[in-house]
Amino acid sequence: MTAEVKMVNMKIDGRDVTVPADWTVIRAAHKNDIDIPHYCYHPDLSIAGNCRICMVSVKGAPRPVVGCATPVAEGMEVTTTAAAEVEARKSVMEFLLINHPLDCPECDQAGECKLQDYSVDHGRDHGRFHEEKVRKSKSTMGPHVKYWGSRCILCTRCVRFTDEVSGTGELGIIYRGDRNEIATFPGRVLDNPLSMNTVDICPVGALVSSDFLFQSRVWNLHSNPSICPGCSLGCNTRVDLDAKDQIKRIVPRRNDAVNKEWMCDSGRLNFGYVHAGRLQKPKLGGADATWKEARRAALELLALNGGANTVALISAWNTSEAMAAILDLVAVESPAARIFGYGNPVVADQVFPGFTIYGDKNPNRAGMEQVLGIADPAASLKALASETGSIGTLLLVHNIPDFVITPEFKAVLDRSENVVLLDFASGELLRYGNVAVALPTLTSFEKAGTFVNNAGLAQSFEPVMEPATYGLSEAEIVEALKRDVGAATRAGAAA
Amino acid sequence: MAETTPPAAPPAPPASEAPKPKPVVPFSPVILKHIHEPNAHTLEHYLARGGYETARKHVGETDPASLVAIVKDSGLRGRGGAGFPTGMKWGFLAKGTGKPAYLAVNGDESEPGTFKDRHILEKDPHQLLEGVILTCWAIQSNHAFIYLRGEFILGYQRLEAAVKEARAKGFIGEKSFGKDFPLKVTVVRGAGAYICGEETGMLSSIEGGRGYPKIKPPFPAVSGLFKCPTIVNNVETIANVTHIVKNGADWHKQWGTEKSPGYKIFCLAGAVKKPGVYEVPLGITMREFIDVYGGGMVEGRTLKAVIPGGLSAPLLTPEMVDKCTLDYESLAGLGSMLGSGGITVLHDGVDMMSAIYNTMRFYHHESCGQCTPCREGTGWLEKLAHKHHAGHAHAGDTDLLADVAKNMRGRTICVLADAAAMPMQSYLQLFRPEFDKRVAAPEYVEKGRTARDEITPAAKRESVTHGAPGVLDVGMGMDRV
Repeated sequence: MTAEVKMVNMKIDGRDVTVPADWTVIRAAHKNDIDIPHYCYHPDLSIAGNCRICMVSVKGAPRPVVGCATPVAEGMEVTTTAAAEVEARKSVMEFLLINHPLDCPECDQAGECKLQDYSVDHGRDHGRFHEEKVRKSKSTMGPHVKYWGSRCILCTRCVRFTDEVSGTGELGIIYRGDRNEIATFPGRVLDNPLSMNTVDICPVGALVSSDFLFQSRVWNLHSNPSICPGCSLGCNTRVDLDAKDQIKRIVPRRNDAVNKEWMCDSGRLNFGYVHAGRLQKPKLGGADATWKEARRAALELLALNGGANTVALISAWNTSEAMAAILDLVAVESPAARIFGYGNPVVADQVFPGFTIYGDKNPNRAGMEQVLGIADPAASLKALASETGSIGTLLLVHNIPDFVITPEFKAVLDRSENVVLLDFASGELLRYGNVAVALPTLTSFEKAGTFVNNAGLAQSFEPVMEPATYGLSEAEIVEALKRDVGAATRAGAAA
Repeated sequence: MAETTPPAAPPAPPASEAPKPKPVVPFSPVILKHIHEPNAHTLEHYLARGGYETARKHVGETDPASLVAIVKDSGLRGRGGAGFPTGMKWGFLAKGTGKPAYLAVNGDESEPGTFKDRHILEKDPHQLLEGVILTCWAIQSNHAFIYLRGEFILGYQRLEAAVKEARAKGFIGEKSFGKDFPLKVTVVRGAGAYICGEETGMLSSIEGGRGYPKIKPPFPAVSGLFKCPTIVNNVETIANVTHIVKNGADWHKQWGTEKSPGYKIFCLAGAVKKPGVYEVPLGITMREFIDVYGGGMVEGRTLKAVIPGGLSAPLLTPEMVDKCTLDYESLAGLGSMLGSGGITVLHDGVDMMSAIYNTMRFYHHESCGQCTPCREGTGWLEKLAHKHHAGHAHAGDTDLLADVAKNMRGRTICVLADAAAMPMQSYLQLFRPEFDKRVAAPEYVEKGRTARDEITPAAKRESVTHGAPGVLDVGMGMDRV
């Protein structure tokens, strides 16, 4: 990093800027908050230079050039708003729209479409094309992606994505000229685990997500930033919700230190557990109970014998804050208790040329190491499972959606006389007879917290929505429990 | 690139031009000398007329730089269309990159009206191969690709056979001519796309990809085929190399003009008595070429226009034809170009709307679709040209044609958009009344505005009269950038 980068001084729109010598004009401009419109250019993909909208004028050049493919040079003077490039952009905008179906009212992209945006900013005020438009095919590219050929502007971002980032190379261009279409190669399906990124990078409504298709107009959504809990990478996400606070889609948010602008399909699609199968209210012996009753029962179980035979089993899906809160609770209530960790089993990483989907399907294993000192949740669970004899009270802080109960995990449950479960789901675990108390918690979309990713980067997030249940965060639950303890102590002292 | 200097030269020094022995040296065909002889395509025939002697003499013996110097000195200009000096291009080849250098010979010959390389490929392929060997030695390349238009079936068979024969004789192979110079020649066939005749489109095609032209810079000489330094030359250019190396630069310069030395193969088509392929010294007059070589116009027809350098070259009217000589600078001065040397003569009965519609249909069909202005613009031009051809154009459509063509110029990766727009601008400039005659319907008016509202500044709108000089707000010809 300290290797000296040669810098050049240049002027863009009269402003003096200094950028590395190997940059292009568009990158230099964007870095300095000077907007140059672009379709085919994407900072994480190779340069195609085909959309021709990023025209700029370079002093000394006879005509406007494309900013995305023009390297910067010492003393270069670039304008982005002079008549020549404005006129060039206007004509390119017109060309882009002549065969476009202009079907914005039924297009999923409407509202976040670069054609709409740039048409307003750079286009003509009316069309001059009165001929028959070229019509192209519609197709299903893969399980999550559909293609609307007529809307396509052939920027080839999707083709370059499958060539360079996913490395799977399913996509290509077929036919020629204005009949050009994007298609999968014969016998291929766009089914790689990163396929939905092509939907994100499609600047128009040509590639659309079959999961989000016709679900909502985008201007009826509100968005909040979050962190994906799907694996140990912690992709930065933007969660789009409708007016009823239902999650409609999850898309990546740029963070060059983590996920660039990519995200895997399963991370995007794994939000169903937020709205279905939730533990709505506290349960006591299988029946609904009030928070107060449930807390009292939990406290009694945890305090049995000062916690001598109590085990806290915490999953690596919990936030660092939740882990700290549980530590706090245990210290107060059952100081003799032992703490173990567990998590989703680790599978092999899926490595692509430009992205890795990590096999460690736990968002906060590193946080667990920091807070609880448990570096390997699987080994921790194994250690607990290998013990014999019964566990008096198992404080199980779960919060893993779609968890598959392993034999080891089952062995621990079977050995536990009473289980105090903290979980957001009303799932398989609840049906275990020895779950005495179940306290509803919140998903990572509904609470604030921190996940530490596999590179040691602590990423905090805020709730993106109101809680969908009567659940509380672990910290809130622990706080309430401690309040209860205090009240009981005071009552005892008074007596 | 060579257009910057000519305007300064012609008026002042006619005296200095006079002593130059222009047409004095009698010329007989060089490259096409043997194509009429049966079996000229065989190795036997080629060896019998001294074939491969030049290559044998130089490969592994002569300093490659001196070969480049000879070609540079000869003033040979690329015969594919752009007319870039060949020796200079060779000089640009990146050296010391640690990567192999390639020679890619362009035999795609897809410009309509051009059919010269085909004769070399079909009737004298060894002549090309010897040029390839010499060029490879000059640029120190060990692998040459010869890219052929897919439709050249006989040419492919003959060239493949020639490569086999040359390989069997040891002219190419691990040790060419027994010297320590390995040379591989690969013949690649196209699949019938015009765009693969564009040099970087051809390189993409050879690489096995879609024939999309690449962004320049980097130029092929720096990063071309498989991202290695590559020299791309036309078949005719390479065929010239043997003769220039054999006879010397001065021999080549005895014909032609100062800026266009030598001779060139021209393809004559259209309304002449003897259409065909002719090899003539550069600098002869267009009239001489049409009247003497072509035998004049067909009976009962007069000349209406000439397409001088392949379909994309702007037209010449009879007055311009009178002033025109067959060299790069004369045609550039007339706002057109020598191009690939495909000359098409249109007679007085030709419906220009039919001609331009046919032209536009071609470019629409052949646009690769990579860049927006070309992909969309060529189709639009065709549709508007069709309306004029069919006689149901609306008022304003003709101005729209001019504006669309203008908007396509200079805004794409390769020059196909320009190649489509240039003839349209030229037809509009020279034959505007014929366009106007086909306007049958009133102008489109939407919300009180017409398509023209943004074409012509409001102040000028009142004065627009079709066909009047100076009205079109469109730059014409080559000087417009």
